[in-house]
Amino acid sequence: MKVSLNWLRRYVDIKVPLEELCEKMVQAGFEVESIEDLSKTMDNVVVGRIEKLEKHPNADRLQICQLNIGTGELLRIVTGATNVFEGALVPVALHDSHLPNGMHIKKGKLRGVESNGMLCSGQELCLKESDYKGAEVNGIMILNEEYPLGTDMREVLGLDDIVIDFSVTANRPDCQSILGIAREVSVVLKEEFKKPVPSYKTKGGDVNDFISVTVEDYDLCPRYVGRVVTNVKIGPSPAWMQKFLKSCGMRPINNIVDITNFVMLETGQPMHAFDLRDVRGGKIIVRRAKDGEKMTTLDGKEHTLNSEMLVIADAEQPSCLAGIMGGLDSEIKDDTTAIFFESAKFRRDSVRRTARTLGIRTESSARFEKGTDIMNAEYAMERALSLIYELGAGDIVEGVIDRNMGLPKDRVLEVTVSSVNGLLGLEIPGDTMVEILNRLSIKTTLAGDKLTCVIPSFRDDIEGRADIAEEVMRIYGYQHIVGTPIKGEIVRGRKSHERLCSDRIKNRLIAQGLNEIVTYSFIPEKALDMLGIGEDDSRCRAIKILNPLGEEYSVMRTQLVYSMLNVLAINYSRKIPAVRFFEMSKVFIPDSLPITSQPEERPALSIGLYGEQEDFFTLKGLVEEVLAEFGIEAEYRRSSEPYFHPGRQAAAVVDGIEVAVFGEVHPDTAARFDLSCRVYVAEIRADILMSAKESIVYYKPLPRFPAIDRDLALICDKELPVAEIEKVFKAYGGKFLESVQLFDVYEGAQIEKGKKSVAYRLVFRSAESTLKDEEVDGVITKLIEKLNEKGCYLRS
Amino acid sequence: MKEKLEQLRAEVLERLEGIKDKKELDELKIKIMGKKGQLTEILRGMGSLPAEERPKVGQLVNQLRQELEERFEKAEAVMEENLKKARFALETVDVTMPGKKKRVGGLHPLNSVLESIIDIFVSMGFDVVDGPEVETDYYNFEALNVPSDHPARDTQDTFYLTEKFLLRTQTSAAQIRTMEKRKPPIRIISPGRVYRADEVDATHSPVFHQVEGLVVDKGITMCDLKGVLEQFAHEIYGPETKVRFRPSFFPFTEPSVEVDVTCGECGGKGCRVCKGAGWIEILGAGMVHPNVLSVCGIDPEIYTGFAFGIGLDRLTTTRHKISDIRLLFENDLRFLEQFSR
Repeated sequence: MKVSLNWLRRYVDIKVPLEELCEKMVQAGFEVESIEDLSKTMDNVVVGRIEKLEKHPNADRLQICQLNIGTGELLRIVTGATNVFEGALVPVALHDSHLPNGMHIKKGKLRGVESNGMLCSGQELCLKESDYKGAEVNGIMILNEEYPLGTDMREVLGLDDIVIDFSVTANRPDCQSILGIAREVSVVLKEEFKKPVPSYKTKGGDVNDFISVTVEDYDLCPRYVGRVVTNVKIGPSPAWMQKFLKSCGMRPINNIVDITNFVMLETGQPMHAFDLRDVRGGKIIVRRAKDGEKMTTLDGKEHTLNSEMLVIADAEQPSCLAGIMGGLDSEIKDDTTAIFFESAKFRRDSVRRTARTLGIRTESSARFEKGTDIMNAEYAMERALSLIYELGAGDIVEGVIDRNMGLPKDRVLEVTVSSVNGLLGLEIPGDTMVEILNRLSIKTTLAGDKLTCVIPSFRDDIEGRADIAEEVMRIYGYQHIVGTPIKGEIVRGRKSHERLCSDRIKNRLIAQGLNEIVTYSFIPEKALDMLGIGEDDSRCRAIKILNPLGEEYSVMRTQLVYSMLNVLAINYSRKIPAVRFFEMSKVFIPDSLPITSQPEERPALSIGLYGEQEDFFTLKGLVEEVLAEFGIEAEYRRSSEPYFHPGRQAAAVVDGIEVAVFGEVHPDTAARFDLSCRVYVAEIRADILMSAKESIVYYKPLPRFPAIDRDLALICDKELPVAEIEKVFKAYGGKFLESVQLFDVYEGAQIEKGKKSVAYRLVFRSAESTLKDEEVDGVITKLIEKLNEKGCYLRS
Repeated sequence: MKEKLEQLRAEVLERLEGIKDKKELDELKIKIMGKKGQLTEILRGMGSLPAEERPKVGQLVNQLRQELEERFEKAEAVMEENLKKARFALETVDVTMPGKKKRVGGLHPLNSVLESIIDIFVSMGFDVVDGPEVETDYYNFEALNVPSDHPARDTQDTFYLTEKFLLRTQTSAAQIRTMEKRKPPIRIISPGRVYRADEVDATHSPVFHQVEGLVVDKGITMCDLKGVLEQFAHEIYGPETKVRFRPSFFPFTEPSVEVDVTCGECGGKGCRVCKGAGWIEILGAGMVHPNVLSVCGIDPEIYTGFAFGIGLDRLTTTRHKISDIRLLFENDLRFLEQFSR
């Protein structure tokens, strides 16, 4: 809410410095967004009259002006302009003046003649025709009104003001107005609030002879107040009114429109003026629009309406979108002679919905959406009429039209001083509360511990003791709240099981040199195409966002691979040679589409790597690390994800469930992300890890007897998975086989084509005695026999 | 005999002087003291001496043996010492060269800040609970005292999934879920991800993170709220930090406040970081609105409570002086590594 300080001063005395005013308003809940000192734009520019004009002795194109700036002495200034004349009133930039275009004017000599300043053009003062009539003429700006000589140009242009932009919270629609802010200022400064008292005289007649008003939909329009003004003389509004409108960011149009805008800014009640000629049939009907009904608003746009929208119609058609914007044909024109003024209360959700549907937002709709005071409609009308009267803009017809279904009575709230203090944790005396509340226009009396508060109609937000506590507190001052240590039963805080599990996973991976990443939960719909995941895959059943910021953020992810690849790609494109990343996040698994219940938000883990040191097995090692954290042993099988290298991908399977899929990213997929190196990615079902049974580690006695090592070099088919060999070791290794370690795999020279050599170290140990070679020999013989059955032979 | 011993002694002492090598020393020792050594020879030759001389000469021989043994020991010790010295000189390293490290990774800065926050509140007896990110209109708005026509909805541009389901705009939704499940005393924080349809720029992200706090019990006051937040601020920003309340508005708390802390950069004097204000806004808070308590079946006449919502992303960017919120979601390794410790 932009507030002109000069406007504010009309209704409350401000005797403190600006900084103090702002600080006090902030403490009362009105944040200051900005302070704009309009006078800072120029200084030392005054109104002067050209008394005498002479030719410059040394230059044909220059003239010497003698200016009267009200000091009694004439000031000599040289100008090159040709539109100046004796008797003209002009803006004079004196010695050491600053102009809004950044110029700094000093006295000097022009072709040997001393010049004590400069005559200004509209352009040099950064003025448009709409700011001042004649500002855009070629040459010096000639002032078209009389001003005392020497008047500061800032005063002429309305720049002698400071505009404070207060941020008004949603619970205080009453402060979307100069008067609302003035009331708060009067409270924080302990000054009198001087609300203007409207007064005017009517010219007789009867409003009912001019117009009839019918409200069909009181649910959307609980009150409609109307008045008629005749013999209207359309013209510009006075300079003071224009200055106020401009300082609050509104453009002056004509006296009638300016009055409606002025009253809206001042009282917070939007008003509308209709050209009475264009109200067909002399009838105003407040009704819901018919489906498909059309209307052109005064910005020239045509809208198609529906039956949820409230309009102000005449006998034939809608002529105003209620509370939002007037119609083009009933707008105030230069030859308008009679007007109908509207001041109404429209329901805020109705205005909000209509404005949103039609994509219109106006100062008026903004105020109705936040909520207006039903009682204020009448006051605003009175204020508008008093301005009509004051400006002599027309004759006010006797009689008010006031349609409503009954006006609310003052609400009375009873709360106890002790309950308010109980909420705040303070001991504010009852008398202090009464004093504060009364200053806030909440008429309050105290009887014992009981406060009886009469809530004014503009404070709909006050419903109970919490609201009273807030009103008291923000004026009493939050600095009085002193922190106390929290009381209550001793309770133990803890993290959830899921969070503790997630911490374990993260710690494990961080120790392996991985950095955690955080990415958005929504991804492009085309993400799964990029991964080559087919439409029948369950991961394609993703929840769509109805109003996404763009395709890029349009569906809730069902997997983390896409986001990981994206992050790898960013790093790769920035020439970072190697990265190891993981992400712990949620994937969103719907039960049906569109969703009818909350989706499963499944904890998931992804790992992504690239760099010289990485290969399939460094990735697998990390997967094994994570599973080991939860004591899970998985079986590794070939998998068939489309986005992985067909020969370098696997699934870790536990009890028939794929806990992880991982592999080297398919070169085609990698290319879609502009990754031209080998990239390794894993996606892990963190939810399954988290549900793993907690197992306690039991101590095993340390070995007391020496072990026997046996190395076996085997030749087998290249295709035979080593897991098959290891199964044999496990099955026939006997009770003394302590460990099996694969230490070499070799293909190539000296090995038959299609075969490979695999070398294992087997360690045997007994817990009871030192093993003898013969005891191990028997086992080895048995193992070789069984391995032979699998096509594995000892390398000779 | 005696002369022979004297001669041997002199000879050995002289040779010991000249020996530089351990091997040479060992050889000499064997030559003199060994089983077939000269001294042993002499001892053996004692048999040819007259019986009365034997004890005397024996004593002399033993004396000499003892002396020579000591001499040898000493010479060995000196030699070993010299060897070590030489080795140490050879093995001396440049201690200013960098240490060898195994590279460890690190938490994302958002989560490392979150972990500190969680630690602080857990130590104050707060449970950490999680709520769903896909919420219903009821939990995200209605139950939080934000009916459908409420203007507060305008300030939160919401992502909708269906008419009923949306991506939560605030972790406050977790308040309701908690109060439905638990009865007072309640003391929880609920960290999580929230969504608003804000275009991405240096200070806005459509995905961001909050930490909601909620305390409900008999006799909870605004001073308790300040006490808890002061403790939090002291842990996060240092023990000198002051906390200030400013009146504000949230539909689900009444009274509502914005909470500022003294700027850590200038200590409250005003600087570039705090834009001259001396204070930095860190969170919104207030006393739980009686309507919200009632909706959850908690009698506002008996119980009171407070709630607060910390903006994790802003806390992280201000704490680490990160100039652009987008850096948090870009995950450039050179950025992330700065926070690996």
